[in-house]
Amino acid sequence: MLINPIFALQALPVDVNFASIAPELIVIIAGVLVMLVDAFAAPKQRWLTGGISLAGIVAAGVACVLMWNDAGTGGVVTSSFNGMIVVDQMRLSFTFVFLIVSALTILMSMLWVEREALPAGEFHSLLMFATAGMMLMASGGDLVIIFLGLEVLSIATYVMAGFRRNDLRSNESALKYFILGAFSSAFLLYGIALTYGATSTALEGGTTNIAVIADRIAAGTAIYPQLLFAGAALMIIGFGFKIATAPFHVWTPDVYEGAPTVVTAFMAAGPKAAGFAAFMRVFVFGFPLVATSALSIQVHAAWINALVVLAILTMTIGNTAALVQKNVKRMLAYSSIAHAGYALVGFIAAGVTLDITKQNDAIAGVVFYMLTYAVMNLGAFAIVMLIARGGDRRTELEDYTGIGFKAPALAFALSLFLLSLLGVPLTAGFIGKVVVFRSALDPAVMNDYRNVMTLLVVVGVINTAISAYYYLGLIVVMFFRERTTEWRAPRVPASVAVTLILTLAGVLYLGVFPGKVIDAFRRNAINVSRLR
Amino acid sequence: MNEFQLIAYLPILLMFLVAAGFGSSQVILSALLGQRKATKTKLMPYECGKDPVGSARERFSVKFYLIAMLFILFDIEVIFLVPWAVVFRDFVASGNAAFIYIEMMVFVALLLVGYVYVVKKGTFEWGDRARVEAETEAKILARQERLAAIQVERKAA
Repeated sequence: MLINPIFALQALPVDVNFASIAPELIVIIAGVLVMLVDAFAAPKQRWLTGGISLAGIVAAGVACVLMWNDAGTGGVVTSSFNGMIVVDQMRLSFTFVFLIVSALTILMSMLWVEREALPAGEFHSLLMFATAGMMLMASGGDLVIIFLGLEVLSIATYVMAGFRRNDLRSNESALKYFILGAFSSAFLLYGIALTYGATSTALEGGTTNIAVIADRIAAGTAIYPQLLFAGAALMIIGFGFKIATAPFHVWTPDVYEGAPTVVTAFMAAGPKAAGFAAFMRVFVFGFPLVATSALSIQVHAAWINALVVLAILTMTIGNTAALVQKNVKRMLAYSSIAHAGYALVGFIAAGVTLDITKQNDAIAGVVFYMLTYAVMNLGAFAIVMLIARGGDRRTELEDYTGIGFKAPALAFALSLFLLSLLGVPLTAGFIGKVVVFRSALDPAVMNDYRNVMTLLVVVGVINTAISAYYYLGLIVVMFFRERTTEWRAPRVPASVAVTLILTLAGVLYLGVFPGKVIDAFRRNAINVSRLR
Repeated sequence: MNEFQLIAYLPILLMFLVAAGFGSSQVILSALLGQRKATKTKLMPYECGKDPVGSARERFSVKFYLIAMLFILFDIEVIFLVPWAVVFRDFVASGNAAFIYIEMMVFVALLLVGYVYVVKKGTFEWGDRARVEAETEAKILARQERLAAIQVERKAA
């Protein structure tokens, strides 16, 4: 019998290691279970699906911690499935952030699905699949896995954005997100295709494995080096859409405003962090600087310079546009764009730091920033959700007039979250900014980029000052304006109260005692973020 | 490089012939052997429950979309079975038979879960309950449209 030579080549030994994808598997199994329970259980069993999802997330968290402890002692491999999956510090820390975001979103959503009479099972299973997608984006060592993770995440999020299907704004948000998201996925995919073509050598076809891409660029064996620039540029656009960097941010305010508040909170915290994980994986590890290779130096300089421009634009546009917003959700959407800009500074710092320990510290800084942003952002949106009431009707700035002393607990909590978003000392946001800016000013940064990094930090600090206007503005509206109309404080249900307590504790803990968490993300010199 | 030889394409010609022969034989056989009971619906050019004559911009049930969507979903997922079957022998030869078999069974089981889910959610429910629901929805929509039309008239006046 004839054996097709091409297929015979594919039947290499399969490097199967289910332990290395245990958290992903657990979350997916929990999602499937939720679907089945939703199909068979009687309606009105909302706690059941939420409970299963939470249990799945806790189990995945335990698996993540076990891998974390093993990783230091060399117990778990550093890559598996023939390089498709990577186990390193960056992946595990990001997984940890995603699990926290999903757990808090589930807690918040328990009230919301009840009040809006929405199908809870569908929401929770979609959320679990989205979480699995985010985790795959962080753990992929291959462009294809990263793309698959991105699609799993995006498709679930498109549906979630339009979840209040009787509401026109929600439909608009879902449609916009879907069309622009599909568009950006196409950019990313085209970038991947060009990179694949660019890295083919005289003897072999191209590659989508990030480690091999880095090798071939460094060795100078890629036969179409020019294509690499186009590929990298298209990938920057694709990822730029996902993390909402200016000028690819235009979808963000509309989508965040129209989507149900719970989903907005999730979208701003989770997928953005996942986008950063994949973005950093591809660029910091796929296109690193290798001093002996002219091509590597060119590609590295190109993407660093592009990201510097993006970061400056993102911080400035996000903050200045937020100044004039009259809708709180829109304002927080622009604030999320600005925060993507601050985090980009840490990302660039990781790119221009050659020392592997310092680079690991810079990556840990970005992860820590995403964690602090997730905590304060979810907390702020939880309160926005309560004040907005059913159908997200009251989200305008004037709906917050004078509520400070009528609902003091809520107003003080929201003020704390806003101060943290602004970056006032003793809050999580402050430490996040300090960590990111410190890695940008570290002496380990390459000499050529010292000035640029200083410029980025200066722009970041100026922008923080600008952002004080709108964050403090909302606090002023809440506490120092008289309300003429009747207003009654919303009831705070138990699950949202738990969310608020957790996020408040998180903001204060990360703000006052950040050392432990940062050290956990940094780990030690032996166990750092790397591909192999 | 081999020179072009028409004879190398003989299998493709044979495949065309087999396909055409199979298609036409089925039509001829059913015409010869089948029984005919002409009803009004059956005599329509397209027997899909829609009137083929008249405006194309008719409102029709969203269920058609659901069926079409599910068809595409399962259709595409089944396509994954083909490459799997093609390389199966090579995997057995390399000693990974159990792995590749279990992987595909997991995939099929996931498809089954999806199928169970859509059945339990009533996607294939075309009975009385579904009709009542659809009719109520249509009434609500029609009422909304009428209200909108009245508003437009009022604005014009």
